[in-house]
Amino acid sequence: MNFDLEREWGRANGIVLALLLHCHVVCAAETPALNAEGFAIPQANRQFAFPRDHGSHPEFAIEWWYVTGHLVTTDQAQFGFQATFFRRALVRPGVPDNSPPPTFGNDQIYLAHMALVDRASGVFRSQERLNRAGWDAGAARNTLDVRNGNWSLRLSPEKSAGAGKEVFELQSTVGADAALMLTLTPKKPLVIFGTNGVSRKAAEASASSHYLTYSRLSASGRLMLDGTSRDVSGEAWMDHEFSSSQLGEGQIGWDWLSLQLFDGRELMAYRMRRTDGSTDPYSTVAWNDGQGVVRQIGPNDFTWTVQQRWHSRVTGADYPSLVQLVAKNPATGKPETFIVQPMVADQELSGKVGGVAYWEGACRVWDENKKEIGRAYMELTGYGESLKEKF
Amino acid sequence: MAASNKAVLGILWSRFAWRHWRISPISSVLLLLILAIGVAAFVSIRLANRAAVASFQNFSDLITSGSDGIIMAPAGALSELVLTELRQLLGPEPVNLVAVVETSAVPPRRDEDETIGSRPVFQLLGLDLPALVNLSGQQTNGRGWLGTATSRGTDGSRKEFTEVLRNPLAVFISEALARRDQLQIDSPLPLVINEHAVELRVAGIIPTDPSQPAVPPHLLIMDLPALQRLTDKTGQLDRIELLLEAGPRRAQQWALIRKKLEAASSSRSGRWLLSTPADRRAAASTMTQAFRLNLDILSLLALLVGLYLVFQGLEGAVVRRRSEIAVLRSLGVTSRQVQGAWLVEAAAIGLAGGLIGLVLGWLGAQFAVRMVARTVNTLYYASSVDSAAFSFGEAIVALIVAITAATVAGWRPARVAANTPPAQIALRTGAATYPGGQWLRRPGLGLTLIVLGGLLASLPPLRLAGGGRLPLAAYAAGLCWIFGAGIFAGNVLAWLGRLFARFRIDSVGLRLAGSHLRAPSGRHRLAVAALVCAVGMTAGMAILVGSFETTMRGWISRTFQADLYISSDGAQSASSTSRISPATWKNVVTNPAVERANVIQVTEINLGGVTTLLMGSQLAFFRDYARPAWLSPPLHEDVFDPERNAGLALVSEAFSERFRVHRGDRMQVPTPIGPRSLTIAGVFADYGNERGSLLIERQLFSDWLGNELASSLILALKPGANAERLRAELRAAYPGLGVFTSSYLRDEALRIFRQTFTVTYALELIGIIVAVAGLVFTMASLLWERRGDLATLRSLGLRRKELAGAAAWEGALTAAAGLLTGLAVSLALGWLLIYRINKQTFGWTLQTDWPVRQLSVLALLVLASATMAAWFVGGWATRLPADREE
Repeated sequence: MNFDLEREWGRANGIVLALLLHCHVVCAAETPALNAEGFAIPQANRQFAFPRDHGSHPEFAIEWWYVTGHLVTTDQAQFGFQATFFRRALVRPGVPDNSPPPTFGNDQIYLAHMALVDRASGVFRSQERLNRAGWDAGAARNTLDVRNGNWSLRLSPEKSAGAGKEVFELQSTVGADAALMLTLTPKKPLVIFGTNGVSRKAAEASASSHYLTYSRLSASGRLMLDGTSRDVSGEAWMDHEFSSSQLGEGQIGWDWLSLQLFDGRELMAYRMRRTDGSTDPYSTVAWNDGQGVVRQIGPNDFTWTVQQRWHSRVTGADYPSLVQLVAKNPATGKPETFIVQPMVADQELSGKVGGVAYWEGACRVWDENKKEIGRAYMELTGYGESLKEKF
Repeated sequence: MAASNKAVLGILWSRFAWRHWRISPISSVLLLLILAIGVAAFVSIRLANRAAVASFQNFSDLITSGSDGIIMAPAGALSELVLTELRQLLGPEPVNLVAVVETSAVPPRRDEDETIGSRPVFQLLGLDLPALVNLSGQQTNGRGWLGTATSRGTDGSRKEFTEVLRNPLAVFISEALARRDQLQIDSPLPLVINEHAVELRVAGIIPTDPSQPAVPPHLLIMDLPALQRLTDKTGQLDRIELLLEAGPRRAQQWALIRKKLEAASSSRSGRWLLSTPADRRAAASTMTQAFRLNLDILSLLALLVGLYLVFQGLEGAVVRRRSEIAVLRSLGVTSRQVQGAWLVEAAAIGLAGGLIGLVLGWLGAQFAVRMVARTVNTLYYASSVDSAAFSFGEAIVALIVAITAATVAGWRPARVAANTPPAQIALRTGAATYPGGQWLRRPGLGLTLIVLGGLLASLPPLRLAGGGRLPLAAYAAGLCWIFGAGIFAGNVLAWLGRLFARFRIDSVGLRLAGSHLRAPSGRHRLAVAALVCAVGMTAGMAILVGSFETTMRGWISRTFQADLYISSDGAQSASSTSRISPATWKNVVTNPAVERANVIQVTEINLGGVTTLLMGSQLAFFRDYARPAWLSPPLHEDVFDPERNAGLALVSEAFSERFRVHRGDRMQVPTPIGPRSLTIAGVFADYGNERGSLLIERQLFSDWLGNELASSLILALKPGANAERLRAELRAAYPGLGVFTSSYLRDEALRIFRQTFTVTYALELIGIIVAVAGLVFTMASLLWERRGDLATLRSLGLRRKELAGAAAWEGALTAAAGLLTGLAVSLALGWLLIYRINKQTFGWTLQTDWPVRQLSVLALLVLASATMAAWFVGGWATRLPADREE
């Protein structure tokens, strides 16, 4: 596993980890506006405005837009996909102006990951890309329009106007032989995780984010694979998070889970792992019921049990490959069991470009009676080596 | 039957050929060496050429592992905006677009007297460093440029990535340079880039894929925007390389993308052009094709002369072994078997000579490659190759050439041997005279060849792709004349023999020599023909080079009329891309001591797939201070008036020849703002480059190309101003500028000119050495054949000294005949080289000059060495027993 990061570059790569930090915890009462480097710290009761807040927030050090989902082709072939766009500021923000961005900027760097897994064949394709801000990578400030090379995620004004609601477009490829063009339409309202619009990630007051999610979107479009083009449809999950924080003390990695149940509910689970393997107090599970009402529970109300592991020959890491999540349903007060099993064992991103290897993959979800009850995407980090020394 | 034939051939080889080789090892070795030298000259030039061509490198290939396509501007630099345009055009296509800025740089001069081209030239690439990690080849290195391992210095220290991006002087160097110059992270690397003397800082070692060739020490890499600023190319790129993502369908996808790009290129008024790395390598190869072919052909000179000698050697051997052949024939060996044995022997000589030649050629290539590379670097493109790798392919070619040539040369002697009647054994002494060379006694054949040569000389050149021209017919004409004159030379020898016989000189040696030459033997004729070949070609080249030098001198003295000439101190050759920023040149030209100044701007342009140079100059200044020699003078003064010359251009002779355009013709020129129309107002002689120059008013150039970067400045000073003082003042103010006086530049231009002919001189010398060695060989054979006569003369009372003197006279007269005819041929060859080969290849009209002193030295050298060699051989021959076997 290639994880020999420089401090500075490590901060840039912190994107990878920080973006993966899908935690939300209580915000401190008095939070400074800026951190030591001059970047903004998320503040409670921020007045969000859209589509502006779908766009980039360069006053924050790190930001990401994250889409995962499950697709089926017209001939019933099933695929999982991941599209992630990261932004990391390299210098403290200056006074915003209207001058055109430089062709080769030195103030921001953009990392992106694309992955596609074919459930039937078990083939997992993935690619990473890194570009400086400028002609080949960037994110608009006033709307969702983020791009990296030939990959992009945009809010389509035309389609949005036609549909009467927000419609997003994803353009992605993996290598030379896979291309995915999707139209994404939210089925549920936008969720803002955390308390008063702030999601705490660690004990440190500055370690928090604004965490916005569409937990269920309909997805449709075309998949071109090995020279064949096919229509696809399915459901997706989309996150947008911006912050200026790093990992907290004593944290070595985390497990993240997004579940889309067939009954219309969604769960977002985040378990931060500490050095001794225990669950960090800032871990959480959020329930989104069929009507879009979100309730959160703390680490005392859920358990995360690893039942099987998979060994990566590429990085040498041992990742959980069968997980049982038992979480108390805040609506009923009763625990529910979710058994999460990867569709394909090897869905590891090797980190050749970003320098951080992790596992992120499409999963099936079963209940305790072995009945399939939904789909999921699971993210597992810090299994190759501890991330603590790097951040 | 076949088996018995093989057995007979085997016996013949071991008992007949090999035995003779062992009995007379010196002559055998000499024969092999002569052939080996010929092969060596051929091999060394081929290997050197190969290395020089291979040295053209898309340097970015070392980083990108080879791109699929390259986007370049048809003229000047490419706007950065093209990147966005291409990304939009390509949409979701999985293509990496790698922007490249490239320039050359040199270390600052250590003393003021350093000659141009004496400092090592670095190739500096500007690449978007963060994006490089996306390339698959780079990913195999871990995180490539961003990984700590690769930004680590040899001392283990390392640079943080963002620090590299923020440091405008950060440079990555090769492992080889770090080791050679003991450079570490943060070591300073002082360089002259454009006119800036800057001190770069080593930020790391260039990471490469282990499967790729090692990064050469002269390759340096910087972050692209940093190099843009250093080279005053902000907003501009030199090229964009396209790399498809890896995958099994990459080839099909590239075909589709290529179509899309080509369609877009034509619909965008040709603002950019698509090519491939293979196209670029082919273009570079084509650029030097004529130069390399000329060297190849010249390198065949020694081989050609060597073949005469192999022919002589084998025919001589036939004579010496004639009695043995007759015995073999009487023992039942068929004439076919005898001929086969001789051909095998000839092939064996070819193989052995070829193998020795390969070794010598490879050694010679190590020297030749530097000379070839220097010329390529001076005239064509950056090349810093300093060694020539052995090539299996070239070795096979050389061996085939050697064996074929020796077999062809041995064909006739083999026929003669096969036709030896068995009865010859009874007539041993009478048969000792060499009967061959009948074809050399046919003056009609010589005349036919000379006439044929005349016809061939009038044919046009073969036009090659990329604008090159190959004067194939002219080369064939030269060969016809050399062979034709070689046949006639035998008659010249006879004439000389008769001439000396008329003089009643009381010299036994001279009279003896004259008696042999009045009716020269086939061997004499062959020796003279070989000398004609060597002297004719050598003297012809001397005439060409002499004429070239005279013309250059005249051109240089006319052209460098101004007082000071200024360029970037990094400009070490014609291939340099170093420029002077407008801020600097505007300061220089407004110096109070300057009366008039010419700012020269240059860019490569692509005219219908052929690259040439578009130059901006104040045309009135050009007229007044370069004093061009007009081949077609402008018909009126409009072209020199900036108010009236907007659509007018002057072109060099090479341009006119290359593009077949003349005064009054109109042509379209690509520019970044679209094609522009120009009318040719005049054609001038220019020996500065063979690609041709299209000269327009500088302001027009600046408007079209959108920049004011100057390649050089020419200053005419006010009366009384001191050029040396201003030079010192400018050097102190701008350490990155090279400031030269006209006299210095004239000397340097001539030095560089002579430098480019170093290979030619070396090849000529080899040709002469082989020819003189051949004469020695001939004399030895002749005297061997006459050993009986020599013994008789000795018994009649002639002293050894007198007999050696006779041999010396014979050698001298033979050499004189070869020289006379060879010099006559050289006049024709000189004309052919100047007015046909040179004009057709380079498009340059030269002023004919006869380098009398050089030719006299050549004649004396040949005559003296031939006489001395013959004298020694004569002395040796008098010690031979009358009937020793060999």
